[in-house]
Amino acid sequence: MRVLGNFFPFGMSRTKKRKALSCIGRNWALLFLILMLMVFSILGKNFFGLRNFSNILLAVTTLLLLASGETFVIISGGIDLSIGFIMGFVCVTSAIIMRDLHAAGFPQAISILAGSSIGILLGLIPGFVNGVLITKLRVPPFIATLGMWGIANGLAWRLCEGFPIAFLPSKARDIGMAYIAYYSPKKGFSLFDRPVLTERADIWNLMKIIPLPVLLIAILLVIFAFILSRTKFGQHTYAIGGKVDAAIRAGINVPWHLIKVYVISSFFAACAGLLLVFTLNMGVHTQYTSSYELFAIAAVVIGGASLMGGKGSIWGTVIGVLLIGTLNNGLMMMGLPIFYRYIAIGCILIVAVLIDQLFPELVYEE
Amino acid sequence: MKRVIIGLLCGCLVLSLAAGANAKKLRFAFMPGVADPFYFTMEKGAKAKAEELGVELIVGEFPKAWGPEYQVPIMKALVARGDIDLLFTAPTSTEALIPVLKEIHDSGIPIITVDTYLGDGDYSKPSNYSFPLSYIGTDNFLGGQVVAGALALLLDGKGKVFLENTNPDVSSVIGRENGFRAGLKIFPDMELVGVEYCLDVQETAAAQTAAALEKDRDIVGVFGVNVFSAQGAYQAVVAAGLAGAVKIATWDATLTLIEALKKGEVDLILAQMPAEMGSLCVEWGVKHLTEGAELPKKVIPGFFVFTKDNVNDPEAQQYIYK
Repeated sequence: MRVLGNFFPFGMSRTKKRKALSCIGRNWALLFLILMLMVFSILGKNFFGLRNFSNILLAVTTLLLLASGETFVIISGGIDLSIGFIMGFVCVTSAIIMRDLHAAGFPQAISILAGSSIGILLGLIPGFVNGVLITKLRVPPFIATLGMWGIANGLAWRLCEGFPIAFLPSKARDIGMAYIAYYSPKKGFSLFDRPVLTERADIWNLMKIIPLPVLLIAILLVIFAFILSRTKFGQHTYAIGGKVDAAIRAGINVPWHLIKVYVISSFFAACAGLLLVFTLNMGVHTQYTSSYELFAIAAVVIGGASLMGGKGSIWGTVIGVLLIGTLNNGLMMMGLPIFYRYIAIGCILIVAVLIDQLFPELVYEE
Repeated sequence: MKRVIIGLLCGCLVLSLAAGANAKKLRFAFMPGVADPFYFTMEKGAKAKAEELGVELIVGEFPKAWGPEYQVPIMKALVARGDIDLLFTAPTSTEALIPVLKEIHDSGIPIITVDTYLGDGDYSKPSNYSFPLSYIGTDNFLGGQVVAGALALLLDGKGKVFLENTNPDVSSVIGRENGFRAGLKIFPDMELVGVEYCLDVQETAAAQTAAALEKDRDIVGVFGVNVFSAQGAYQAVVAAGLAGAVKIATWDATLTLIEALKKGEVDLILAQMPAEMGSLCVEWGVKHLTEGAELPKKVIPGFFVFTKDNVNDPEAQQYIYK
């Protein structure tokens, strides 16, 4: 603290210094993200560009959804380890429903709608069960959701038998791979309708503006960020995570509230699973090696949340996810092997917690 | 000396008569590497052959992920039954499985490794891992070379190519990578511009291929070394609008990839013969145990290369993994 204080000009008043430090402490992840974007733009080949930024966004869409759900749980003082496999479970079930209805001759729109809605509804059940186990039966969140981690995975596996579920309605991928707008120097501007190009140079020059999944996720996140920061529901979530006894005394129905929190987490995981169906055009179970839940927790923590609860925000999580995604993509564009990327993300995670520990008064102050 | 040989022969005769008199049904165990279509197909091939030859086949639970920590406990439980006549398995580590399989071998159960191997896979020279009867599987290095050659043929022998691999610590896929590198050396105008490892996560493979296509915009070919990396790679190529312009070579003829080939989204599939491998394990195992046949130390069933020209041929259908 004293050391950091010396970085500022002597003329600065004490309160101004503290304010500036506090600002850096709270927004270090964002500052680091901006710094990284600048460094990679200079060092990475073809890093800076609309298409690559779209690639980065598309690569983190599932993580973004999972981490947003996890944010609610972590703020409430819990943890949800089951999200990665709930995602796989919903991905497989939705795909099976879509495939079978499609094969039975139903119109594509009906197959897709039925698969999506049933998938999401089924995806809410694990969250509800988690919530009941944790609140009514007093199973620690780590254990309850670890149990669900196994159950969801086993179910997904049983349903798909290890094979990817393919032969889905082709419109599903059209939706998953759509962009809001296209601009081609040859064919001009078009909304949603991808111009047909044959020359390779023309394909590269086609500007694809905002992937549709990213837009849909952004809308979802705005809604949930509003719920978290501006509604009673959000306030209660922070209150429970901050001090559960005080929350009970304040008359909050803690068990029922926590059940809703775990259902929200499960809902986001289900959305991620559905998103995979649309982008991969296939139903795939989640691989053990993918560790989605851990990366989601990492993103939430990098985004400023505390595993002790009571602290964090959707926007912080978005920054955390973008930081991981940009780091991955940037190091890849620089040609750094995958091992170093793991090390880099590990370091960033530890730095996040260190900042939280070293400067608590900076981060909380205001 | 003569007497010894005659004695031995008599011994064999007595033993074989005793075996015939008992007519005990042979009981083989199969311990797969991981739950995926490849090993499911291998299981089917082995089961069919076992039924044909009257062997009882016990299949270990399919491990949920690749690695000794998942495979070894299941394998130990499988042989703990105590009534297994032969074990064939795909070791998930070239090193870590040596002591485990050695112990099983020393307890009197002969072992065949299938698809993957111990050490460097050469059991013909004496070493601490040369105890298995045989390695029955693909020569991944050779397959990698075949892919390089076939891809070069599609690309007229020139251009930049990218390799999407899975795990940097698994013998089979590293063999494919090395073979692919070696195969490309024959073509002076071809260049391998990048290698990525997706750890079997399709989404990661898609993201990595998208970044590679962005980094080197003149990539004309991609080789995805297994079902997950190939499917991820072709998703990225399709997303970039480059289907057709970037040729995709893949490994493993799953239904999904065959469908993609028919649609023109991938251009070349190297099929291993997992059903054949499983079937060969059972066949050679029976020969060894009933006739005392000496197994070749390495058995390679070969490859089948699918392109859009032969994918609908009736005789090609048997090589699709189902």
